[in-house]
Amino acid sequence: MPKKKTSRKKTIALTGTAGFVGSSLLREIENDPQYENVIALDYRKPPFELRKTKFYRFDLTETLADSKLLEIFEKENVDTVVHTAFPVSPPHDLGWAHEIVSIGTMYLLDACAAKKVGKLIMASTTEVYGAHASNPNFLSEDHPTRGGFKSRFLRDKIDAENQFLRFTKKHPHTVVTLLRPCTILGPHVRNYKTNFLQRPILFTAMGYDPLFQFIHEEDVIRAFKMAIEKDYPGIFNIVGDGLLPLSKALHLAGKISVPVPAPVLYPVIQTLWYLNIISAPSSRLDFLKYLSVADGEKAKKIMGFVPRYSTKEALLSFIGAQRLREAHLLEA
Amino acid sequence: MTKETGTLHYLNKGETETPPVTPPTPSPYDELIGQVKNRLDQIEKEFRDKFKRLESQEKVKKTSPPLDISSLVQLLEERIQKVTDEIVSKNFQKNKGQMKIVFDGLQKMRQLINGTEFKSFLSSLWFGRKEENGEIDPFGMDPAFIKRVKPFFDFLYYNYWRVSVEGLPHIPSEGRGLIVANHSGTLPYDGAMIGAAIVNDHHSRRDVRFLVEDFVYHFPFLGTLMYRIGGVRACPENAERLLAKNHLVTVFPEGVKGIGKHYKNRYRLQRFGRGGFVKLALKTNAPIIPTAVIGAEEIHPILLKSTLLARPFGIPYIPVTPTLPLLGIFGFIPLPSKWTIIFGEPIHFGPTYGPKDAEDQLLVNRLSETVRGKIQEMIVEALRNRRSVWFG
Repeated sequence: MPKKKTSRKKTIALTGTAGFVGSSLLREIENDPQYENVIALDYRKPPFELRKTKFYRFDLTETLADSKLLEIFEKENVDTVVHTAFPVSPPHDLGWAHEIVSIGTMYLLDACAAKKVGKLIMASTTEVYGAHASNPNFLSEDHPTRGGFKSRFLRDKIDAENQFLRFTKKHPHTVVTLLRPCTILGPHVRNYKTNFLQRPILFTAMGYDPLFQFIHEEDVIRAFKMAIEKDYPGIFNIVGDGLLPLSKALHLAGKISVPVPAPVLYPVIQTLWYLNIISAPSSRLDFLKYLSVADGEKAKKIMGFVPRYSTKEALLSFIGAQRLREAHLLEA
Repeated sequence: MTKETGTLHYLNKGETETPPVTPPTPSPYDELIGQVKNRLDQIEKEFRDKFKRLESQEKVKKTSPPLDISSLVQLLEERIQKVTDEIVSKNFQKNKGQMKIVFDGLQKMRQLINGTEFKSFLSSLWFGRKEENGEIDPFGMDPAFIKRVKPFFDFLYYNYWRVSVEGLPHIPSEGRGLIVANHSGTLPYDGAMIGAAIVNDHHSRRDVRFLVEDFVYHFPFLGTLMYRIGGVRACPENAERLLAKNHLVTVFPEGVKGIGKHYKNRYRLQRFGRGGFVKLALKTNAPIIPTAVIGAEEIHPILLKSTLLARPFGIPYIPVTPTLPLLGIFGFIPLPSKWTIIFGEPIHFGPTYGPKDAEDQLLVNRLSETVRGKIQEMIVEALRNRRSVWFG
């Protein structure tokens, strides 16, 4: 084993490197000379050529994934694990989502506990707070996560978060950071929310106009890098400054919004979701009705994370790229 | 720079002198208008002279920032508007019957509805905001929207409920303050009217934020309307944040129990929650301004209510009022009672109790009960002086 001699240095392991956050973060780390040993774990290859990163084809949902993971961690002497292997868009196959989100996290944490890694970073989302009429205007990190009432998918995500929090209690020597970015927008990001914003005509819930916050993709990646570079244990909301009412956001994007009474909208959306015509189930409609805005003060104070793009700028950046793409001036 | 501020001060003085010009007898209005016009000419001349002198000096140092003239114009406009509003409302009350005011108001309303303002108001509710550059505050209050709906709230304030206000000097011109009031009226008009009273009649014209029960946010349009005109969902986190930013905040500690009480229980204050407002005042060291709202109980008298039928809609109750299910959508039109808003003397917990005492639940309950007693007293006093529900 010549490997063992050379690689006593600390290694960063990234999971979910085919996803948006994972791949963008990996690209960033690849280009940064201060990181030498990086491994990427996913069952699909990252969408670009790797130079220094070692890629392991690995499925978190397979049986005994934990001991296989531990083997890799031991071999590479992994010290920092960034866990981004979460589907962002709500999947149709909720069973698979449960396997990867809930069970995958369990396997990963088992391996991390056995390897005694120094740092664990998890990518979550502010969606875990849920959209409720009873939300305070700014949700702080210690607010209960109530996003799982209607959505099993979000329930799994909250379960993964809770596993991380339990891990923190059991293993106080490991630095556990949970980052909750809000809706990510930018020139490159693709998920169900950008799909929503790409349609020319949008259905909205009549009479509801909640405030939205967005964060630019660059800011999110920067926040993750900050968490890798320094130790910030705890949960942090990663959000852009400023708020936009949904109507104004759609107006800025040049969309035609069609207000439909909410009780009618729910079954319609659910049917369209089952028919695979739209990319989110009706449980996400709550986010078009009620407030779900997170407070980014803690990240500002403790991490010193100041977003470079405001909510409006993030949206405009997304729209700008969209228009260029429509004119075939930007690669898809 | 010093010269500039000097002129500004002088101008301010000149403007504050305009209101006393109003003669004691309101009959010769033309004379008054002439006088004010003369005074305005004078001000204009003075302004021009001073500015010229200033400019001639200022040629040496061109780096100084220009005088913000537009704000000056706004100030002048606002002040004169206030005086004329007062004169007009006084004139209404003296010369015409109160029903006449309502009918005049309805006339005005009809004109408003026919005008473009109403259409843009409806479209903004329906399709959302159209302005490109309107900024909102972190809680969603939208000054451009308020400007648009103000005529309607002013109609309610001046013509429909003919709100008379007492104890305005008790409102602080700046800094935080917690207005604690009795809650009534099925829909939270009272919060909007307290806000209108301060914006229309208090010299600082400051914005008032009011806390709204969460059930409002379940309704389409209503929740959106509320946050745009300055309503904020009632919860300790929001209130603390607002007070920390030195806002004036209206709270209704009775909550749903107060706003949806039976008509037979009118003007009987319900339990003041769990004393959350006292904790807030203690934590943020904000003065409490006890406030009584008279007249809001009669706008939608609740004869019956059903909590069971309301459950599927996520609202606390479905009311039965003399108009509500009977007249369909028109049942939502409130009755034109005569309102009085009384601001009481501010209560400072200040030096005696500090933020630490917010943990002492016994003390909190006791203080809460004191405030409640004070407001109940004010209400009883006001009701004793009231002769009629409709004419005050």
